[in-house]
Amino acid sequence: MAELSVETSFTSAVVDRTRALKRFALTDAFFRSLTRICAISVLVILGAIMFSLVEGSWLALSTFKLDFVTTEVWNPVTIKFGALSPIYGTLITSFLSMLIAVPLGLGIAIFLTELCPPLLRRPFGIAIELLAGIPSIIYGIWGLFVFAPFLQSHVQPFLIDAFADIPVLSSLFAGPPYGIGILTASLILVIMILPFIVAITRDVFETVPTVLRESAYGLGCTTWEVTRNVVLPFTRVGVIGGCMLALGRALGETMAITFVIGNAHRISGSILAPGTTISATIANEFAEAVGDVYFSALISLGLILFFITFIVLAIARYMLLRLERQAGN
Amino acid sequence: MSMMANNLGTSAIGARTDENTPEKISVRDLSFFYGETKALKNISLPLYERTVTAFIGPSGCGKSTLLRCLNRMYELYPKQHAEGEVLLDNVNILNPKQDLNLLRAKVGMVFQKPTPFPMTIYDNIAFGVKLYENLPRAEMNERVESSLRRAALWDEVKDKLNTSGLGLSGGQQQRLCIARTIAVRPEVILFDEPCSALDPISTSKIEELIDELKDHYTIAIVTHNMQQAARVSEFTAFMYLGELIEYDRTEKIFTTPSVKKTEEYVTGRFG
Repeated sequence: MAELSVETSFTSAVVDRTRALKRFALTDAFFRSLTRICAISVLVILGAIMFSLVEGSWLALSTFKLDFVTTEVWNPVTIKFGALSPIYGTLITSFLSMLIAVPLGLGIAIFLTELCPPLLRRPFGIAIELLAGIPSIIYGIWGLFVFAPFLQSHVQPFLIDAFADIPVLSSLFAGPPYGIGILTASLILVIMILPFIVAITRDVFETVPTVLRESAYGLGCTTWEVTRNVVLPFTRVGVIGGCMLALGRALGETMAITFVIGNAHRISGSILAPGTTISATIANEFAEAVGDVYFSALISLGLILFFITFIVLAIARYMLLRLERQAGN
Repeated sequence: MSMMANNLGTSAIGARTDENTPEKISVRDLSFFYGETKALKNISLPLYERTVTAFIGPSGCGKSTLLRCLNRMYELYPKQHAEGEVLLDNVNILNPKQDLNLLRAKVGMVFQKPTPFPMTIYDNIAFGVKLYENLPRAEMNERVESSLRRAALWDEVKDKLNTSGLGLSGGQQQRLCIARTIAVRPEVILFDEPCSALDPISTSKIEELIDELKDHYTIAIVTHNMQQAARVSEFTAFMYLGELIEYDRTEKIFTTPSVKKTEEYVTGRFG
C-alpha cells in the first residue's frame, strides 16, 4: 500500500514536470520568435529606407546621370543640379574635424586614464560627457553668434596673414575672413564629436588589465612607452570603433553645420570660404523644394550620404582586418 | 611531512650558499602603507646573491607587497608608500631620487598571470631591449634567441616568431614573459606567484627554469604552494599579518622551524 502511494506520487510528479516543461517550451518558442522578429525588423527598415531613397532619387539621377556627382552647379531656377559641392563639403568638414578631434580626444583620454590625479578624474569626465549632452541647435546658435564672429575678428585674419607667403597654405587659408565657412563648421564639429572619442577611448583604455600595464612598467617603460606600445595596441579595435562612431556623427551632423557653414554651393580651395554639406543642403532646401526634379535631387543627396557612410564603414572594417593581420593574429 | 623531508633530501638546496655569499638586496626596517593601513611592519631580511628566496604565508600577509617594494611597483598608485630602507648593492632604492625605469630594468618582475604584450613573439622580447639599447638587427636576433633559449621556449616558438604572443598556451606565455624579463639583463628577478594560473606540467617547467636561472640571477618568489617553496628556494621567509615571523634556510623552515606559528603553517594546520 505504502509502495503504491509512493509510485503514484512519483508519476504525478513526472506528469507535473512534463506539463511545466511543455509550458517552458511554449514560452521559449514565443521568446525566440519575438527576438527573431526584432532582428528581422532592422533589415526590413533598412531595406525600406534604401528602397525609398532609390525610388525617390530615380528621377534626378536618370535626368542628370553622372553629371549629378561631377558638377557643382546647383540652380533650382534653371533646374540644373550637381552635387559635387555638398559631397566635397561633407567630406572636407568631416576630414578636418577628425584631423583635430582624434589626436585631441586621444590626448584627453590618455591624460584621464594614465596621468590625471584621481581627484580631478571625475570632474573632467563629467565635463566631457556634458559636452555630448548639449543639443546640436545650441552649438549652431552659439557657433553663429559667438564663435564665428570671434574667428572672424581674431583668428582668421591671423591665419590669412601668417600663411600669405607660403605657396600651398596661402591658397588653403585665402580670402576674406567671413567668419562662417568650412573651417568654422569643422571646428564646431570637433567640439561635438570630441566627447564620443574621449568617452569611448577612455572606457577601452580602462579595460587594459592592470597586470599588463604593470609588466610594461616592470620592464622600465615610461608612461609614454606604456601608452604607445601596450595600451594603444591592446585597445586599437575599440579606439578605431570610437573614431568611426564619431566620424559617422560628423558626416551626418545637420543643424549646427547648417548655421555656420554658409550654405554656398561652390567648391573653394580655401577652407575659410563658405560651402555646404549634404545634410545641410537637405535641411535648408527641403521646405522650399518646388518641382519634382528639385525634390528628387535632394533625395539623391540623401542616397549619396547613405553611400558615403557605407563606404567609410567598409574602409574602417578593412583597416581593422589589416591591423589584426599585422599584429600576427 | 615526511614526504616533504624526502623532497628536500634529494635536492641539493643550500649547498652553494655559505656565510660568504654577498647580500644582493638588504631589506632594513621596511614598513609599507596602503593609505593609513600598515601592511608591512618593520621587515628586515637579506636576499643573497644568486640564490632563490621564497616568501610564504597566508593570503593578505604582505608577501606580494614586500615583493612590490623591491622594484617600487607601488609607485604607480597614489596613497601607497614605504618607509625604511631597501638596499640594492648597498644603494637605497627607496630614495626618491632613484630612477624608477633604471631600477625596474635591474629588478625584473614576472606576474601571477602571463601578460604577453599585444604584439608578435619576437617583438615581445625585443620591446624591452629597445628601451635601453640600440642593437643592430643581427645582435637583436641573437638576444631574442638567447633569451628564449634561456626561458626554455626557443624550440617551441622558433618557427613562429612573427605570430602573436597571445596565441601561445598559458604556460608558454608565462615563459615568454620570463624571456622578456631576462632579455633586459636584470640582476634580480621577482616572481609573484608565477605558477598560480598554470597546470602542473607548465608549473614544473617553470620551476626547473627558476632552478637554472639562479646561476645568473638573484631570485625572489612569492608562492602559495609550500611544496613549490620547498622545491625551488634556498631561503624562506614566513610572513603573517604584515610581520616577518621567521626567516631561515628553507630546509630548516620546513623541518625544524623555531617559531610555533611557522610550524603550524607549514604543516597545514592553518592558512
